[in-house]
Amino acid sequence: MENTIATQANLHRRVGLVFKYLLLSVLAFIVIFPFILGLWTSFLPTTQIAKGALHGTMSWQNYVDAFTQTPILRYLLNSLVISVVQMFAHLFFASIAAYAFVFLEFKYRDLLFYVVLATMMLPFEAEVIPNFQTARTLHLLNHYAVMIIPFLTSAFGIFMLRQAFKQIPLDLKESADVDGLSHWQFYWKVALPYSRISILTLAAYSFLGSWNQYLWPMLTTFTNRLRPVQDGLRQLHSEETATNWGLIQASAAIVVIPTLIVLFIGQHYFKSGLNEGSVK
Amino acid sequence: MINSFPSVKRRRQTNQAPGPKEEVRANVKNFELQKNDKYYAWLFLGPSFLVLGIFVFYPMLRTLYLSLFLTDSFGRPTVFVGLQNYLNLLTSKVYMASIQATGVYVIGVTAFTIICGLLLAAVANQKIRGIEFFRTIFTATMGVSVSVSAIFWLFMFNPSIGVLNQIALFLHLPTVNWLTNPHWAMVSVITTSVWMHLGFTFLIFFGALQSVPKTLYDAADVSGASSRYQFFHITLPMISPTFFFVAVITMISSFKSFGLIDLMTAGGPTNATNLLVYRIYKDAFVDGNYAVASTESIVLAIIIAIITFIQFKLLAKRVNY
Amino acid sequence: MTKLISIFKPHWRWGLGLLALLAIIGGFAYGNQAHAESKRIKVVFWHEMKGPGQKQIDAYVKAFNKKQSKYEVVAEFEGGYNGVIQKIMNTHGTAASPALFQSMDISTSQMYHSGFTTPVQKFVDRDHYDLDQLVPGARAIYSRNGKLLSMPFNSSQTALYYNKAVLKKYGITPPPVDPTYSDITRVAKQIHDKSHGQVKGMTMEAYSWLFEQLVANAGVPLANHNNGHTGDATKVDFTSPAAIKAMQWVKENIDYGDFINFGSGGNASANEAASFLSGHLGIFMQSSAKTGQLYKVLKNNLGVTYFPRPDGKKANGIAVGGASLWISNDKPAAVQNGAWEFSKFLVNAKNQATWQAKTGYLAVNKHAKDEPLLKQLFKKSPVLEVSGNQMLRTTPNDTNSGIFIDGLVPARTSIQNAMQQIFAGQDIYKSLKAAENSYNKVLESNNRANGRG
Repeated sequence: MENTIATQANLHRRVGLVFKYLLLSVLAFIVIFPFILGLWTSFLPTTQIAKGALHGTMSWQNYVDAFTQTPILRYLLNSLVISVVQMFAHLFFASIAAYAFVFLEFKYRDLLFYVVLATMMLPFEAEVIPNFQTARTLHLLNHYAVMIIPFLTSAFGIFMLRQAFKQIPLDLKESADVDGLSHWQFYWKVALPYSRISILTLAAYSFLGSWNQYLWPMLTTFTNRLRPVQDGLRQLHSEETATNWGLIQASAAIVVIPTLIVLFIGQHYFKSGLNEGSVK
Repeated sequence: MINSFPSVKRRRQTNQAPGPKEEVRANVKNFELQKNDKYYAWLFLGPSFLVLGIFVFYPMLRTLYLSLFLTDSFGRPTVFVGLQNYLNLLTSKVYMASIQATGVYVIGVTAFTIICGLLLAAVANQKIRGIEFFRTIFTATMGVSVSVSAIFWLFMFNPSIGVLNQIALFLHLPTVNWLTNPHWAMVSVITTSVWMHLGFTFLIFFGALQSVPKTLYDAADVSGASSRYQFFHITLPMISPTFFFVAVITMISSFKSFGLIDLMTAGGPTNATNLLVYRIYKDAFVDGNYAVASTESIVLAIIIAIITFIQFKLLAKRVNY
Repeated sequence: MTKLISIFKPHWRWGLGLLALLAIIGGFAYGNQAHAESKRIKVVFWHEMKGPGQKQIDAYVKAFNKKQSKYEVVAEFEGGYNGVIQKIMNTHGTAASPALFQSMDISTSQMYHSGFTTPVQKFVDRDHYDLDQLVPGARAIYSRNGKLLSMPFNSSQTALYYNKAVLKKYGITPPPVDPTYSDITRVAKQIHDKSHGQVKGMTMEAYSWLFEQLVANAGVPLANHNNGHTGDATKVDFTSPAAIKAMQWVKENIDYGDFINFGSGGNASANEAASFLSGHLGIFMQSSAKTGQLYKVLKNNLGVTYFPRPDGKKANGIAVGGASLWISNDKPAAVQNGAWEFSKFLVNAKNQATWQAKTGYLAVNKHAKDEPLLKQLFKKSPVLEVSGNQMLRTTPNDTNSGIFIDGLVPARTSIQNAMQQIFAGQDIYKSLKAAENSYNKVLESNNRANGRG
């Protein structure tokens, strides 16, 4: 008798497990389906895709075409340069500003901080008109610089690093003062290393933010030599007028695969970051 | 969405005005150093204030100024009209429809992102073999940018060769004009947007679920509470701060949706997906009507400011939590 | 001040780092300009041609750069026609602006008023360039007070396409080459009936250009002061009997069930073409520039007619659409000369012949059709000549030479919205009236802001 109950419970558990895996698989399939389809079609000849067929001779032809006939590599390079430069510049300017708000004594410090904080409420999207005109007046249009300079600093970055710097024990600063460390030295040798998690997070945020810029580069660049990758894809999509789907899918894949690889490799980091931030 | 990423990690930290400790520190310092601080403050804050001044403060004032004028073909303000632009805008049916569409989009994206993200997190929050693999897949859309998402989904929504309609045909269901029917177009962009937001939302919710103390569930198990009861009476209350946090973040991010709309529908059909930000772009940089676009910018700024303000309040609450 | 310097002193490495950063940023900014330091005069050319048009332009640029050593033309694709107008308005006078740009028919007035371009007439007069070699209809669109403002380039007219194979299959008599509304309705309905709904009769993209040309073909203006040709237009009229009638014609087919709606925009035209080519759609209207692509697939099963006209009325002729080449006046004379040379190169008979053969745009050079390439092509496939004939037979007048108003893009948007509403079953007059009212408001404030009207 007891035996049967145990078997039943076991069976129950097993059915439950199968159900769990089924659910997980279905959900995973739904989430990843657009990727799979995009990748799959990027290997098919466009003539097949245009007929609505999802089978055909697989080949690298679309990738060859994307690399040889479109400036996709140039787009990627542009984005890489812009994002890296912007990331470092943003980290630098936001961190020194945050440093000032935490470790320096000066008049109106808190007032100024609130002024900075207030800018978080002003969306860049609502300011593109004057910003465009400013960029034009400063002769920045059609340069890498135009995609970097407006984002050299941000209220968000300053806010975040200020929070991080505030975690630094006061004794450290005091003993640094006693040792005669200058602000630059303390900033470089103590403040930055101590807050490296926040710095890294802000770096990721800044890099991704720059990488995903769409509207601003679209307004301020007029040549493929400078276009970053998001606007490059827009350009390709518009040039091919949705007729050369194979090429478009291949270009999209070329853009997404590096980020996916980084994401999968970075899993560990993301998770530890999460543990740190988990709600207690 | 990106906007929030790091602040998740920072949420334990305090955001208080300088307390007595700093004063102590100030006393420790000698006078010479304090005097030095002033120069350093100029040096450290100068660049940031320069950039913020030129690209954030000035443009806001300038936008406000432009919104009170008519602008000519060159975008110069020529005729002062006071609040006329605002009156025109707020009495315009098309603009109101745009606000409504934005509302539907924002609420739709936020609601479904939360529901789907929570579902994925709940399903992934169990200890079975190979769960890591599924978790990795669930975060995958974090690596997808706007353009790539739009392109992947455009292909699926294609009326003649798109997979969705082919599946429909296969199942003898009626096909849908995903992007050309006003209602379905909204559904389509919301779907794509939810998909894009999913990876990040999953990650946040998953982190929150993992941090709910196990003992709470053990106690509930002992008292024989059903798993549904446990979800609604333990899990949800425990993760409610995360819940609101994700909601606000997703809202702000979807308010600013531009690339998706630009690539997928260009605001159409019949303005059905002409969301506020896209409208600003179109009025200014396609139609050349800078005054109207400035007025719309101010309205958008007010809306986003309100939501950001709520975000601050919530963040402050979380800290005290 | 010495204090400030002393701060830097012990931190020279930091200072260096900062300088390096600024240098990198600056370097990128200026490195991009330095690129142009070859001996040739650089002529940046913005265009909006995609697909075969882009390929052909690239070929012309290559040929031109090879043929002479004074100028170097650099072509940049700038997206759709609509966006380019503001790009020009916004970049004029900066290093980002082009020397030569392609801008569409309806931007003529805005470009004229902007004062940002050098009228082509100046170069024509200087070089005694023979304007008679250009098609009159194409010149009419880009002229003001008898002076040519820009060089007509890629020209097209609206055309009506039908699939001969579909008609043959169901035994339907094809429409005449100069059809009336009811000719088309008859064919569309028959396709629908005889295929038992398997093949849709017709479609029309919710595309304002098509609407404008239906009205133009009826000989009715859309704006006062003769479409703005004889004075600054202050009012538009989208609800004239001719406009209503045109929409009623579409509505009749919608109600009958033979009409399929693809909506509006780039995806719509791609989708309707795909549907047409795969034999699921019998008739559609689109730019004649599509002829080449359609012919490539359908060969002699492609049928082309003139744009439809109202019943019992002689066709007034329709405007030459497409775009022309404008020379910016913010560049030095030498650069402008380069732009002019390249424009001439693009519209010579030989290049216009290949242009038409490769892209389906109509040659703006009258002598192009005497080129062996086009002669052979037309002999082999007469259907490719139809739209060209439509253009050549048209005598330009104020109702078929476009609308001379600044900022017509929003007008098109509102007309397209009205069309989509009508296609979705809403009232014709109400929809068009709403579009008319909304654009009249825009027009009024535009005129006010610019001190016109």
